[in-house]
Amino acid sequence: MTSNPVHQGIDLRVFARYRGDFTEEADVVVVGSGPGGAVVAHGLVEKGLRVVLVEEGPPIPPADFEFDGGMSMARTMREGGLRTTRGTVMPTMQAIALGGGSLVNSAICVRAPEFVLDRWSRDYELNKTTRTELDPHYDAVGAFLGISPTPEDVQGARNLLFRDGCDALGYSSEPIARNVRGCRGSGECFTGCRSRAKQSMDISYVHEALEAGACVLTSARVENVLASGHRVSGVEGHVVEPFTGRPRYRFRVNAKVVVLAAGCMATPVLLQKSGGLANRSGQVGENLRFHPGVAAMGTFPDRVDPQFGATQGYQSLEFIKRGFKLETLWAPPTIFAVRLPGSGMAFKERLGDLPYSAVWDAIGSCNRSVGRVRARFRGNDPKLSWKLHPEDVGLLMEALYRLAEIFFAAGAHTVLPGVSGLPEEMHTLEAADVLRTHEVPASSLVLGGNHAFCSTRMHGDPRRGVVDESGRCHDFENLYVADTGIFPECPSVNPMWTGMALAHRTAGCIADRI
Amino acid sequence: MTGLFVAALIAWLFTRALLGYPKPTTHYRRLLRGEAAFVEAACGVMFPAGGAIPLAGTEVGAAPYLDRMMDASKPRIRALMHSLFFLVEHASLVFRGPGRGGRRRFTRLDPEQQLGVLRGWETSSFFARRLVFVSLRSLLAMAYLQHPSVLRELGIAPMAIDTSVCEADLWMPRVGADPSTIPWSVSDVNTPRDDVEPLNLDSPLHPDYAEDSS
Ligand SMILES: Cc1cc2nc3c(=O)[nH]c(=O)nc-3n(C[C@H](O)[C@H](O)[C@H](O)COP(=O)(O)OP(=O)(O)OC[C@H]3O[C@@H](n4cnc5c(N)ncnc54)[C@H](O)[C@@H]3O)c2cc1C
Ligand code: SF4
Repeated sequence: MTSNPVHQGIDLRVFARYRGDFTEEADVVVVGSGPGGAVVAHGLVEKGLRVVLVEEGPPIPPADFEFDGGMSMARTMREGGLRTTRGTVMPTMQAIALGGGSLVNSAICVRAPEFVLDRWSRDYELNKTTRTELDPHYDAVGAFLGISPTPEDVQGARNLLFRDGCDALGYSSEPIARNVRGCRGSGECFTGCRSRAKQSMDISYVHEALEAGACVLTSARVENVLASGHRVSGVEGHVVEPFTGRPRYRFRVNAKVVVLAAGCMATPVLLQKSGGLANRSGQVGENLRFHPGVAAMGTFPDRVDPQFGATQGYQSLEFIKRGFKLETLWAPPTIFAVRLPGSGMAFKERLGDLPYSAVWDAIGSCNRSVGRVRARFRGNDPKLSWKLHPEDVGLLMEALYRLAEIFFAAGAHTVLPGVSGLPEEMHTLEAADVLRTHEVPASSLVLGGNHAFCSTRMHGDPRRGVVDESGRCHDFENLYVADTGIFPECPSVNPMWTGMALAHRTAGCIADRI
Repeated sequence: MTGLFVAALIAWLFTRALLGYPKPTTHYRRLLRGEAAFVEAACGVMFPAGGAIPLAGTEVGAAPYLDRMMDASKPRIRALMHSLFFLVEHASLVFRGPGRGGRRRFTRLDPEQQLGVLRGWETSSFFARRLVFVSLRSLLAMAYLQHPSVLRELGIAPMAIDTSVCEADLWMPRVGADPSTIPWSVSDVNTPRDDVEPLNLDSPLHPDYAEDSS
């Protein structure tokens, strides 16, 4: 309990307050406080159930945010932000903090397009997962988090140039809707919102869940799901020191229902490490998919001052059916430097172009590119393998071409597509044509994959999926999964809102059944 | 005779690979003496003095920064970083660097040769070698760009913001601290509203990046 008189009754446990081994009793224990877990926990506590939310990371207040991208990643991301897939090497980031990915993400909220949900519904026997069925859940989350389009006054030149380029080409574009209230355009979403405008889970759903009576255990790592027959009875694990992860005390939570929302990478590992649970279908850890991202930098004659403006304020869904989405981007310069070519003075000169530059990215709906998640022999980090399909390489190259097209239409004089083996700089659209005509191997692309799905996929057929439409594991009466791992395929747009809508539905189903 | 030869060879390799690093002036928690020398040298070559940003890579405290970063990292990541530094520092003993005397460890090469070695990694036709280069350059770029005067010089340093206090801040202590240390009370809560003023490009910089910060 906090000693602050205003918050007497708030049951938040932080590392400094644990004194020894302990056991908790609950109706429902939720593992993971990211967008999935936070929404479920809140939904259930609102129904009067005793909920214990367990999160391995600590709460991170603004006083502990780091501006420097490297240090920030080392503290807020699993494996220091250096986690990569094998096969096709691609960095993939998962947060470790109260609020999960919402603490460090750009707050982009997009509903999955109707054609995507229709496909899920048809191909995976998920009759209740159409857009019409999910819209009330999207609406409820949207109203709670104040999801609304980014206002013009916080767009900044970096975002508005994207709009101008799209307008010049006749491509559709729109301000990105975000879970933000009172954005000041600091472009710092990746290292934490100092303005407290971003409605990350720690200050929104988790906060409200605490107010409504949930118990939240932070710095508590679940290592085992307790199961017998077709039922689970709780979870157990260790209290861990923030940042180092060193185990201290043991804990156990006995519960009538267990909800795993540890994220697309951690949930399958937890199931595998708990003796191969919920895997009669053989699908736990299989089907791993990403929205691999590529980015290009464009340099303009005038200052762009990219440090000002909503981190990701504009997007184009023009090519969404083709398989990619285009959007603007900003992150600490240390992160972008990774994408710049060159060494020595040439590299340094390129850094000098940053104030005149914008970075825009594309994410691909790469359903053909599949991988898997496996538990390591030791520790809780996953072993990830994944391969970018040659046709998806072509798709991402086409997306890079479109970005170059928009850059030139917006007035850029130079575009850096960041593809190894092709010219480092392009000065005309004709020169950029190689992006769509030249075949390159996957290893030539600088990729990033922060949207991950399908590792515990939802399927109406228990032989082909891990969970049903309500998120309940086919093999267990009272074990649920509520993270983006349950998506049956790529959603084609940023996944958080869809993850939360599904979690909102899951909370309702659990409450009805308990 | 053979034994003597092998012993001499080992001694030679040992001296070439592991000895003769300058004593560091700072105490490092994670970086070894040779690694610190390597990081400083590589950062100096990656970011020579002059150009758009006057500060050289040797002036930004790259080794102390990466030492802090390693300290904040899990053992597996630390091990990868140690291996990366070791690999690039010593690879030129096997695959010689350019010019006369190119078969020396990285820190013993002259700056021209060092740049040549880095270019070799960067432009290699082997993906794995390019990956090593990109990993090293990322770490060095982080070390360089974290220095306040670099971002200030570029004009893209973070601005000062009066951090709002939201209701959740009333129960959120600093990482590792006890809730009794939370400095806020309910009268401090000033959750941002939708009509808040956007930042202004002329706003003052965050104190850590202001002129007198470094
Ligand atoms: C840098 C970045 C930017 C992004 N930007 C956007 C965006 O703008 N819009 C968007 O839609 N998506 C974005 N995403 C993706 C989005 O953040 C994720 O899809 C989303 O956070 C997934 O939610 P989740 O609840 O499934 O998992 P997570 O957010 O990963 O949450 C899982 C939580 O479980 C905890 N956990 C894991 N294992 C255990 C355990 N054993 N015991 C206890 N706790 C555990 C983790 O610490 C974590 O807090 C971004 C991702 C990143 C990394
Ligand atoms: S752009 Fe800045 S103010 Fe706006 S939500 Fe992101 S971090 Fe907060």
